[in-house]
Amino acid sequence: MFRDFKSIFNLNWIYFFILLIIFWIGGINLYSAAGGSLDPWASNQLIRFLFFLPLFFLVIMLEPKFIYNFAEIFLILVLIGLITTLIFGYTGMGATRWIRIAGFNLQVSEFTKIALVIFMAKYFHKLNAEKTIGLFKSILPLVVSIIFFILVAIQPDLGTAVIILALGLVVIFYAGIKLIYPLLSLGAILSISPILWTFLKPYQQNRIQIFLNPDLDPLGKGYHIIQSKIAIGSGGLKGNGFLEGSQSSLDFLPEKETDFVFAIFSEQFGFTGSILLISLFFIMFLIPVLKTYKLTQVFNKIILFVLSFKIFFEFLINISMTIGILPVVGVALPFMSYGGSSLLSNLIICALILNFMSINEKKRMFT
Amino acid sequence: MEKNKTSEDSIKILNRRSFIIIIVGAILSFIVSLRLFSLQVINSNFYKKKSVENKLSIKLTPPIRGNIYDSKKNLLAGSSSLYEFVVFKNLSEDHLHEIKKLDSLIKLNLNFGEISKHLKKYNEYTGFSLSRASWEQIVEFEKNKFLFSSIKIIESKKRYYPFQNFSQIIGYMGQPTQSSELYSKGVFHLERSYEKHLRGKPGKIFSEVNAKGKTIREISIEKSIKGNDLDLTLDLTLQNYAQSQLPSDKKGSIVVISVSDGSILSMNSNPTFDAQIFEDRENNKINELLNNDQKPLFNRAFSGFYPPGSVFKPISALVGLQRNLIDPQKEVFCKGHSSLGDRNYYCWKKEGHGKVNLKKAIKESCDVYFYELAKKTNIDDIASLSSNLGLNKEYDIGLSNIGKGLVPSKKWKKAFLEENWYQGETLITCIGQGYNQTSPLQLATLYSALLNGGKYPIPKLDKNAPTRFTGKLLNIEHQKIIINSLNAVVQEPRGTAYKLSISNPEFVKIGGKTGTSQVIRIKESEREDDQYKSKEIEERFKDHSVFVGYAPYDKPKYIASVIIENGGSGSAVAAPIAHNVLDFAFKNNV
Repeated sequence: MFRDFKSIFNLNWIYFFILLIIFWIGGINLYSAAGGSLDPWASNQLIRFLFFLPLFFLVIMLEPKFIYNFAEIFLILVLIGLITTLIFGYTGMGATRWIRIAGFNLQVSEFTKIALVIFMAKYFHKLNAEKTIGLFKSILPLVVSIIFFILVAIQPDLGTAVIILALGLVVIFYAGIKLIYPLLSLGAILSISPILWTFLKPYQQNRIQIFLNPDLDPLGKGYHIIQSKIAIGSGGLKGNGFLEGSQSSLDFLPEKETDFVFAIFSEQFGFTGSILLISLFFIMFLIPVLKTYKLTQVFNKIILFVLSFKIFFEFLINISMTIGILPVVGVALPFMSYGGSSLLSNLIICALILNFMSINEKKRMFT
Repeated sequence: MEKNKTSEDSIKILNRRSFIIIIVGAILSFIVSLRLFSLQVINSNFYKKKSVENKLSIKLTPPIRGNIYDSKKNLLAGSSSLYEFVVFKNLSEDHLHEIKKLDSLIKLNLNFGEISKHLKKYNEYTGFSLSRASWEQIVEFEKNKFLFSSIKIIESKKRYYPFQNFSQIIGYMGQPTQSSELYSKGVFHLERSYEKHLRGKPGKIFSEVNAKGKTIREISIEKSIKGNDLDLTLDLTLQNYAQSQLPSDKKGSIVVISVSDGSILSMNSNPTFDAQIFEDRENNKINELLNNDQKPLFNRAFSGFYPPGSVFKPISALVGLQRNLIDPQKEVFCKGHSSLGDRNYYCWKKEGHGKVNLKKAIKESCDVYFYELAKKTNIDDIASLSSNLGLNKEYDIGLSNIGKGLVPSKKWKKAFLEENWYQGETLITCIGQGYNQTSPLQLATLYSALLNGGKYPIPKLDKNAPTRFTGKLLNIEHQKIIINSLNAVVQEPRGTAYKLSISNPEFVKIGGKTGTSQVIRIKESEREDDQYKSKEIEERFKDHSVFVGYAPYDKPKYIASVIIENGGSGSAVAAPIAHNVLDFAFKNNV
């Protein structure tokens, strides 16, 4: 089940270091969101991090073979978890997203992303004999992705659901589906989107409408976007300086510790800081991706590539929301948004990435 | 080997796909960066401004309004403290319940529907005023203070009017009518017209607020600047005295002005009202006032227009002199009436005045003399001289509803009644009846013009306003004749107001003219007759009693213009009042 303890010395410490820097930036950002106070967010987030750290190293030490073998089991576990959430879940802010496990509110949908990627990596690994993936072979992963999309979307948690579906599609694309299918389905989605519109809940339709024109409702639903843009825009080139963000310290920014945490950061550190942050996340994305070019095992490649992509993808979606180029759908900023489930799942993902980057591929590993 | 090759090919595809996704990711990052560049570099100033607007709150502190004084610095309108029940939403979740509790404890008769509607919109940290608090209510509240965590008693300023006899000149304040107005403002008379002068400048407290409007810190404070004071030409003692002279059961008005500079020394109207009830929001009294059919809000001194009656005759006489229509010494025979066409025009003295020259015609108020003059007179000359002497004019002295009145002309009749002028109408116009409409203030000004020789000071209420003269100079001989005649009215036997000299010989000697303003045309021959017994005539059809006088007659300083509605003859009712007031003004050297 576990690898040789020595393999810990083969870890990509640069990646781990960048992770720590981003988490540290997230921590001081939560500190400033509370107006220069560790309470209530920064301290909590740090305690969670320390609490999750043993698990983080545990995942690093897992034998890749073990992960490969249990791929379906993980998927079934999150499926049960999602169904349990729907039936017994704890409801907050109009959505049933959490279940209580041992005193913690756990958001199963966050872990669905990992389980789905592992499951699909294994699926395509088994198919690696085939040159390109036809439509038929793509149906099972597509159906699985859609089932999980629906299970999360009806919570309702559209943001997470969309990310799950997007990750499923990215795996299928990365694994080598014929290009004609993604292009065809893109056309199909565009043509049926008016019908999809009618399936959205009124508040979701509302969010999209207000995204298109925030001034429709400047004090209601559009308020988030307007205030977030003011915060980011007022940061200017160099930013207002640490703890000098008036938009955030004066509570103009709602949900500033979760979905809009980037606005807090950007108001204080400006365009310069924002570009630095984007660069950090991009480097963090590229390090595992570059490693994939040296790997030959499809399972390893997919795990490394897609999980690394997941973090960067969520980062891009989140800041696009805060600067008003995507609707506000509720996607957390990895390692910076306040929240336990998001932090835990992203730590597990990074642990998996570190784990798979340290693999020495000499023989065919999975059979 | 075959298997291995496919595997290697498939790995190549993965690597190619990986490259595509990296490129897409880089493009997306670039788009996000461009957007950030647009927000944070290109449009940064716009958002910086928005951010400042967001966090800055400017709270205005009302300035103290300027005081209004009489000419001797007696306070007529000032500011005094006021206490209000104010609810602060942020202090208790339970504030609505507390308001109900307060209402049942202290009968405030609050309108809950209105209040909760307003409160919903109100900022949590800005208090909302529920009601004024009287001393009794404050005591009751303090005893039960522990029951209320969201309601406080807050002190502010209100207008204070110590003398109700000035309400009809000073006016009163009203609640803000537009959302941009933050505190009450003058809405009537001087309070309204001198609003800018009196208001002062509000202070500003700039503070940083959070999204809920809670003050985080005060950045700067600009102190409010008290409004300017206003000194009036009015005299407190004269105003109060004149009011006491008005018969309480009759509607009427007294205006006293200064001959030398047009200062209005007192200006009374009966019935009157107390402006304080508007400040104290005594709604019952306000409703009663607004529904009162005696119209106490209506100041008869400048809004009340009546036919002037015989006090108008000096204008007719002057036109006659100017146009050489009469020789002042030449006598006309009054047999009690005069005829024009098939109609008879009666003198108030049925048996006639006999031989009458100009002086006697004014002194004894002979109508026939003026009828004969009127037959030769062009009505437009009357109208134009009237305008030169202060009639048919609106004085811009800051009073609301100040009227213009009317002296008819051919043009006016054509325009408004679409009829031609008849000479018969000139006859009744020349004795001050007919279409003539003048206010007591205008009549006082007319006599000021006569005494000043045609160029007269425009009436004023603002003591610090410059004295401005207007009008055209009269021929000094003509003026002398008229003034002599007016002096004779009071000073010589047979004058219509000679009785004043006999009954109060110790009073200041005055000149003037009686008038009887007809309400309906009955018993024309009985006008100005002391024997006038009209008890059988219904009160509202009785003539208005008019007198305009000046004192001292040889060196005029004060002019008093009096009208008593339905009072009867001018000599019997208005003249003695005018004499009392002029004597008071003279003796007290107002």
